[in-house]
Parts: sequence; C-alpha cells; structure tokens
Amino acid sequence: MFFHMVLERNLLLHPRHFGPHLREKLVMKLMKDVEGTCSGRHGFVVAITAVDGIGKGEIREGTGFVTFPVTYQCVVFRPFKGEVLEAVVTMVNKMGFFAEAGPVQIFVSSHLIPDDMEFQTGDMPNYTTSDGSVKIQSDSEVRLKIIGTRVDATEIFCIGTIKDDFLGVINDPDAAV
Amino acid sequence: MAMSMEPFNRLVRLVARAFYDDITMKGENQPKNGRSDNRGMAVVVLDALTRRQWVREEDLAKSLKLHSKQLRRTLRFFEEEKLVTRDHRKETAKGAKIFSAAVAAATADGKKNPREGEEKVKLHTHSYCCLDYAQIYDVVRYRIHKMKKKLKDELDSRNTIQEYICPACKRRYSALDVLQLISPTGEHFVCERCNNELIAESDKLASQEMGDGDENARRRHREYLKEMLQKIEIQLKPLIQQINRVKDLPVPEFGSLQAWEARANAAGLLNGDPGGNDPNRANQGQGYGGTPMPYLGETKVEVALSGAEVKGEEDNGADIGSPMKQLPPWMIQEGMNLTEEQRRGRGEVKSDTKIVSSSTSTYDIDEKKPNDVKEEDKSIQDEYIKAYYAAMVKRQEELKMHQKTQNELLGGDVSNVQETHPGRQVGMKAKREDDDVEWQEAAIPAVANGAPKVNDLNITASESENEDDDGVDWEEG
Ligand SMILES: [Zn+2]
Repeated sequence: MFFHMVLERNLLLHPRHFGPHLREKLVMKLMKDVEGTCSGRHGFVVAITAVDGIGKGEIREGTGFVTFPVTYQCVVFRPFKGEVLEAVVTMVNKMGFFAEAGPVQIFVSSHLIPDDMEFQTGDMPNYTTSDGSVKIQSDSEVRLKIIGTRVDATEIFCIGTIKDDFLGVINDPDAAV
Repeated sequence: MAMSMEPFNRLVRLVARAFYDDITMKGENQPKNGRSDNRGMAVVVLDALTRRQWVREEDLAKSLKLHSKQLRRTLRFFEEEKLVTRDHRKETAKGAKIFSAAVAAATADGKKNPREGEEKVKLHTHSYCCLDYAQIYDVVRYRIHKMKKKLKDELDSRNTIQEYICPACKRRYSALDVLQLISPTGEHFVCERCNNELIAESDKLASQEMGDGDENARRRHREYLKEMLQKIEIQLKPLIQQINRVKDLPVPEFGSLQAWEARANAAGLLNGDPGGNDPNRANQGQGYGGTPMPYLGETKVEVALSGAEVKGEEDNGADIGSPMKQLPPWMIQEGMNLTEEQRRGRGEVKSDTKIVSSSTSTYDIDEKKPNDVKEEDKSIQDEYIKAYYAAMVKRQEELKMHQKTQNELLGGDVSNVQETHPGRQVGMKAKREDDDVEWQEAAIPAVANGAPKVNDLNITASESENEDDDGVDWEEG
C-alpha cells in the first residue's frame, strides 16, 4: 500500500556545497540518501514530493560538516498481509518462485501455487497447468496475495500465494513476444 | 415495510440460538460457579428485543427480571457484536415522560398513565436500546462467510507459511527466511549450518523424519476441519434459509431514538389509538391502515403456540431432508392469526378481564431460562390453556367493542403484565414434544378448531421454510 507522509531527517553536508545553491544541494542529497531506501517502520521510500522546511544548520565540531534538519513529504510503499499485488516473476525453482513488486521481494512457495500447476525443469524452469494454457516462469506477471511479511530494520520480505480466487498469471510472456 | 418485521425477528431469534446460546456474561470478579452461570441470558435478551422497539434499558431489565447491571453488560456485548443500537441521554422527569408517551403511543395504549416510578425520575442518564436489523443482516452474513472461509482456507492450507527442514541437522526454517537460503544455482534452499538441501515440511521425507504421529495428527486435523464445515452447512441451514428469505424484504428501521419517539408520539395523536393495545402485538408488524409504522398494530389476537414442538437447535440438522419437518418453537411464526370462524366458535367463553390481561404472557414464551427444563409440565399445560382461553376471551371482547371503547376496557395494565410470569414463561418454552398430545386434547373441548389450527400453522411454516431454498449462494463470494 502506498502512503504519502511527512518525514524528518538530519542531513550532513560538506562545507564545499555552502554557497548560493545550498538549498538545491540539500534537496539533491536528500533524494540520493532517502529514495529507494527501506525502513521497517515506514516501508520503502519511493519518491520525495516536497521539502517542507530546512532548519538551521549546526556545524559539527572539528569537521566543518553541517547538520541540517529537513522535513520532507514522500510517497512510501509498505506491503501488508492480505494485500493483493501485481508482481514480476524473477526466479522459478522447485520450491516455488520469487517475484518483485517494485522494491519488494515476494516468495510464493510451491504449496501456495494451485495444485493443477506442476513444476517443469529445464532452461526456463516453470510451473505449468497440465493443458499448458497457463505458465509461470521468469518475467511472467502474476497477481498474488501477501500472507506474511518479514519486516527488518532495513528490509521487507513477503510470502505470497496465488492459490485463491482471481490470483495467478495476468500475462503470458511467450504470447507477448 | 410493515410486514417485514416477523421474518427479521425470526432471523434474530435464530441468530441468538446459533451464536449466543452459550455465551456467559461474566462480571470481572465473579467466581465461576453454578449460580453465576447465566448462559442463555443473551438469547433471552435478544428475544425480548424482537418484541420491542426502542426500550429504556431499566424497563427491559425490570420486565426480564434481570439486574440492570447484568442486562447492561449483555447489551454492551451485543452493541459490540453490532446487533444492538444504544443511545444514552440525560433526562429530566419530563424527558422520561416523553419516552413513556412514545411507548404508550407505539403500543396504542394512550389512556394509560406512565408508571408511577417514572414520574419521580430527576436528571439521570438513561440508556435505551433497540435492534439494528439492517446491521444484523450484514453482520450475520459476514460472520458465516468468515467461518466458512477460515475453515476452507485452513483446509487448503492457504494462508500457512511453509516451513522447511534440514534433513541432516533437523533445523527448521520458515519461508520468510528463504531469501538468505537460496543455493548458488538457485534451484533449492540450503541449510545455513550444514549446507544440506532443505525439504518442505509437508513432503514425504520430512514427515517420515518427523515420525508417523505428526502425519496422523495432520490427517486428523483435516478430517476435523471437514467435519466442522459440514456441521456449519447443516446446523446453520435454518439460519441461512432465513437470511435468504429476508434478502429482498425492506429492512425494518426505527431510526434514532429521538426520531422514533417523535414519530411514535405523532402517530399516537393522529391515529387516535387504534385497536391494538399491546406492544408485542404491535411488533408483529401489522401496520395500521398502511402507515409505515409497524407499531400501530391492528386489533388482532395472536396466540403463540411455541410450546408445541420443542427441539434443540442441534436437532435441526438431522431432519433437514424431510420437507415437512416439525419446527422448533422459535422457528414457528410468532403470532398465530385466528380466523373469524374460530373467533365465533368461542362465543361461550365468559369474559374475564383478569385472564385477558394475563394472556399477553403468551408472547413471552421465549423468555426462559434454558436450564430449567421439564419441571412444571403440569402447570405449564394449565397455564397454556388458561392463556389460550384468555386470548379467545379477548378476541371475543374485541369483537363486541368498537375500537376506541375497547381501549378503555383493556388498556389498563396490559403492557405491564406481559412479563410478570417468569415461571410460566419458563414452562412454555421448556415444553417437550411429548407434551403435545396432552395439551392439544385439553384445548379441543374448548375450541373445536384448536387442534387442527396447530397443524395448519406448522404446515404453512414449513412451506415457507422451503420456498426460498434456491436463493443465491452468497456465501461463496
Ligand atoms: Zn542443516
């Protein structure tokens, strides 16, 4: 799920950036530092949408670096149990498959793949129905439901299922090519 | 709208027995002994609410002979369960009177003064409650849906997180750990400790490693889940049928307490107190002259024959197959409308106002303590007959009187009397099936049509029971 929220951060800036473009430098550094990171608390920071305020800088003794408290708005993405996501399959093996929804990695174990899909080894390992009409392999797009999340300080990993109504492959990479 | 009360009330009664039969309302520091075991009270309270609209909670407590604290606890519980709407307000004696007037109007009992105790009410907070039928309908459907979904999901192990086991060192991993366990080739997962290939826990080898006991336990658990699912289907069938029946009916709504009060008072003035003089009857949904207010009841004698066939709810499942099955009392239409001929046939019965007023107690057959069963069979039958006579007498009187004068005669304290016979109420409900014959025979000398009517009631009830069976199977959604 996506959220738009206000966060704060202290930015450490090298004295060489002090000058007429101080603010731009700060914003650029903020983007570089924050976008794409993940915190267990808020989820993945997708994009900064606005910088609300930059506080007074404080010179760190002995280094010349300055700390600026910055308040900014950003879009974060945090997966939740029960949420349905669309994801791209990245790896298939006999234990199941891995997929990515943006920055989130999701593992779907083989027992959460519908029973009529069987694992096929080969160059492109895949799960296929007996009539071959549905195939899950690398780069397939699937809709899955998250049934478990593992949230660490800097990482979120999810367990998903496609064994429920309206879940499963939503495109066929072979057909598209 | 007026006609839709009874199906919804029946739904509530079914829900009460299906889900709240064994709920105990326990005080925080009450020891759990036999005395404090008040299972079944939830059912009694819900039943009582199906016969009322907005009701002051202390009045309800009084008529149910419950401690108001106990009742409040139950009502709070039902509020959380989303079955009951409550309202609280600070009231002066005047405010209390307005409500009493509304009740009087709703019960078309305009001549009656508010009860004495209420006139002394100073500025107190009073709580009111009524059933929220629309929400009950939704909540119950949702509840059944969730029950089934939970079992089905577990049966398919849909939401379980796979576990993996190392065959060598028996170390277990959850699927949430696998990101770190992928082998260099990406083909399988390896143990962090000994680099052996991990095995999904449900696989054959793993279960062998774990021993047969585990496999058996799993199989037993699956069987248990399947059994539970089947039980849901069977035991909740009457409830689900009732839900389907109610599906397209307009939902009865009382509105907020204020709105209801205003409406009831206005209607009471406008319609000049039509024939009905009993809140319970009014709740049967016999609208007066098509007004959308179910509580302006028409004159009507309704005798609840709930003692007829008592069966535990658990029996329902067993005879689902038979189309003409006998209904337990709480499934029978609460009111039984006597025909004109039957009323005439009763001409010889002497009028007796005392009995008349006690007749209203027949509406309260469901207010019982489920545990007191089978004790007072004899007195039950007597009481039943008495009540039955009384209803006939009442009918008789009503025919004689014009509607307005009639109110003067009967208005007195009918609504007060309705729940002052707990013993009898217990008895009525506790009646067992084997009692049937006896009381039917007893009734026959009094009214020629008495016994056949009982059967008619059952037939119509079972027919309506089955007609909606092919309703949409919404639970799958
Ligand atoms: Zn190991």
